[in-house]
Amino acid sequence: MKIKNILTPAVISTELKSTTKEGVIGELLDLLVAAKLVTDRQEVLAALMEREKKMSTGIQHGVAIPHAKTKAVKNLVACIGIKREGIDFEALDGELSQIFIMTLSPIDRVGPHVQFLAEVSTVIKTKEARQQLLAAKTAQDVLAVFGL
Amino acid sequence: MAHEMMFLVLQLGVILVVAKLNGWFFSRILRQPKVLGELVAGMIVGPYVLGAIPLGSLGPLFPLVDGPIPVSPELYGIATLGSILLLFSSGLETDLPTFIRFSGKASVVGLGGVVVSFLLGSGIAVIFHPTVHSIMDPEALFLGTICTATSIGITARILGETKKISSPEGVTILAAAVLDDVISIVLLSIVVGVSAVEMGGGSVAWSGIGVVALKAVGFWALCMVVGILAAPHLTKRMKKLESLGVLAEISFGIALLLAGLSEMAGLAMIIGAYITGLSFSQTDVSAEITERIKAVGEYFIPIFFAVMGMMVDFKAVSTVLGFGILFSILAFIGKLVGCGLPALFVGFNLRGAFRIGAGMLPRGEVTLIVAGIGLASGAIGPDMFGVAIMTMLLASVAAPPLLVQSFKGGSGYRKKLQTPDESDMVTIELSFPSERAADFLRRSLADGFRAEGFFLRTIEGSVRSWQIRKEEMIFVMRRHGEKLEITSKRSNEAFVRLMMLETLVDFQEFVDSLKSMEQPEMMGAALLMNMFAQQADED
Repeated sequence: MKIKNILTPAVISTELKSTTKEGVIGELLDLLVAAKLVTDRQEVLAALMEREKKMSTGIQHGVAIPHAKTKAVKNLVACIGIKREGIDFEALDGELSQIFIMTLSPIDRVGPHVQFLAEVSTVIKTKEARQQLLAAKTAQDVLAVFGL
Repeated sequence: MAHEMMFLVLQLGVILVVAKLNGWFFSRILRQPKVLGELVAGMIVGPYVLGAIPLGSLGPLFPLVDGPIPVSPELYGIATLGSILLLFSSGLETDLPTFIRFSGKASVVGLGGVVVSFLLGSGIAVIFHPTVHSIMDPEALFLGTICTATSIGITARILGETKKISSPEGVTILAAAVLDDVISIVLLSIVVGVSAVEMGGGSVAWSGIGVVALKAVGFWALCMVVGILAAPHLTKRMKKLESLGVLAEISFGIALLLAGLSEMAGLAMIIGAYITGLSFSQTDVSAEITERIKAVGEYFIPIFFAVMGMMVDFKAVSTVLGFGILFSILAFIGKLVGCGLPALFVGFNLRGAFRIGAGMLPRGEVTLIVAGIGLASGAIGPDMFGVAIMTMLLASVAAPPLLVQSFKGGSGYRKKLQTPDESDMVTIELSFPSERAADFLRRSLADGFRAEGFFLRTIEGSVRSWQIRKEEMIFVMRRHGEKLEITSKRSNEAFVRLMMLETLVDFQEFVDSLKSMEQPEMMGAALLMNMFAQQADED
C-alpha cells in the first residue's frame, strides 16, 4: 500500500474549524466528498460514529485515527486534518486531540487497511513529526512529513 | 489400448491398497518410516514375486517387461509423476533461511559427507566390480551418487520426537542435509550428462566433464535465481485470482514445465521440480501450496515408492549380497567419517561429531530416484539397483536407534550456541477469563489477518501456535491457556497492536449483541416444546 497514492493535497486540511468530535469527523468527511472519493456521506458518517461509540479512536499524544469499513467507498481512502488548539476526542490518554487521520475501507475487499493505518501511525510516532505536522501551513507541508 | 488402460487401473488400485496398508503397518506397528513399508509392498506384489503369478484368464497382474524397467511404461510414467510431486514438495518444505543461517558449519559437514561417500561408493565399485575400471565409469558414478544423498525425513522425525531439532547438532544436520540434497541433485545432473555421452559410445575427457558440470550448475543457478526472484511476483499476481487452489495447481503446472525443461537440458526431471519447490518455498503462500500438493502427493508418492520396490530383482541381488552389505557399511562410514570429522573442526566435540554423523546416515527418496534413473538409463543393472535399495533399507532401519542412543548424555558443542538477536522482537500479550474466550479471539484475529491479505498456518508443537505471513512480514501467534500473544518485529508492532485493537472492538460488539439476545433458557424451552409438539403430531 503506497501512502503516496492515497494522500494528496486535496484531502488535507491544516485548519479544521469544528470544536466537537462529530464536527471534526464531518469536516474530514467533507474533504473526501469534495474529492469525489465518497458517495454516501450520511452512511459513512453513521459508520464512523458507530465505530467511535464502540471505542474512541483518539489514541495518544494528540493523535486520533477515526476509521470505518463502508460500502460507500470502492478502495481505501484517507484524509488528514489538523486542529492546533485541539478538541476533546475522548482520547485514551485523556489529552486533547490535534492530528486526525481518517481512513475508510470497503467492507468485502481483502486489503492492507489496518496496515495502512499502522504505517501512517508509525510515521507520526516521533515527537518531531507531530510538531512538524502542527507547524504545517499548507497541505504540502503535511505531505513532507510523510516523505512525499 | 482399452486393455492396457484396464491393466493400468487395476495395477494402480492394487498398488495403492497394498502400499497404503503396508505403510500403515510399518509406521504404526513396526515404528519404521512409512516409505519403507511402501517400498516393501512393491517388492512383494511386483513382477519378481507375487505379481508374476497368473490370475486365471487375466494372466499375471504385473507381467515382467523386457528392458531395464520391469514394469509397463504407463505405470512407470505414473510413478515418475509421483517422484516429481515428491521433489516439488521437498523443495517447498525446505527452510532456506535456517539453511542459510547455518550454512557455514553445514556446508563443511555436508560437503565432507558428500565427498567421502561418493569416493567410497564409486571406489568400491572399481575395486570389486569386474567391468568397472575407473570412477568415471557410469556405473561407478551412479553408485557414488547413490551413496551421497541423506534422507532428511527420518532424521527430522527423530530429532523432532526427542526435542533435539533446535540443538546445535540438530540444526547443523538439517541444514547439511538440505545442502546434501542439493549437491546430490547437482551431482546427479552431472552424472546423467557424463553417462549419456559415455553410453553413447563416446568417452568424456576431464574437459568434457567440466562442460557437463558447467551446464548442470549453470542450469541450476539460472533456474534458482530466476525462480527465487520471480516466484514472489508470480504469486502476487496469481493472488488476484482469489483462489489458493488455482494458485497451487498452477504452481504444480510450473513444476512440471520446469521438470520437462530440465530433462530437455539433459538433466533429470526431478531437478526442475525441486527448483520450482525451492522458489515457491520463499513466498507467503508456500504453506497453502504445500498443503494442497501434499494431499495429491498422498496418492501418487506411494505409487512411486512401490514401483521402485517392484524393480528389485531378487535373483540379481542374491548374486551380489556380499557386495551389497559391504557397500552399505561403506555408505555408513562415508557419512560417519565424512560428516563427523569436519564437525570436529567447526566447534563440536567427539560426541557432537558422532551425533551429526549418525543423523546423516539415513538414505531415502533421492537415493531411490538416483538409482531409478540409473536403472532406467541402463547405467546400472538390476543387481546394483538392488544394492541401492538394500543400502537404503539397512541405513533407514539402523540409523534411528543409533541416533536416539547418540543423543543421550551431555552437550556435543564446545561453545554455547549463539542465539539470533531477539532484542528486535516484541511480544504483545492479552489475557482472557477463559480458554474458550481466548480461542474465540484467536479465531477473530485470524480472520482479521486474512482480511488484510495474510496467510496463516499452524505450527506443530507443544504450544498451539500459528505463523501469520504476508510477503516480508511474519508474526507468530500463540495461545497458552487463557493467554493470547503475538510476537513480531519491533518495526511491525504498531500494526499488530492495531489489529488486536480492532478485533477487541469487534468482540465488544459481539458481547453487546449477546446481552440483547433472548434468554438462552427461554430459547431452550421453546426448542423442547417444539420437539414434543412434533411427536404429538406424529402420534
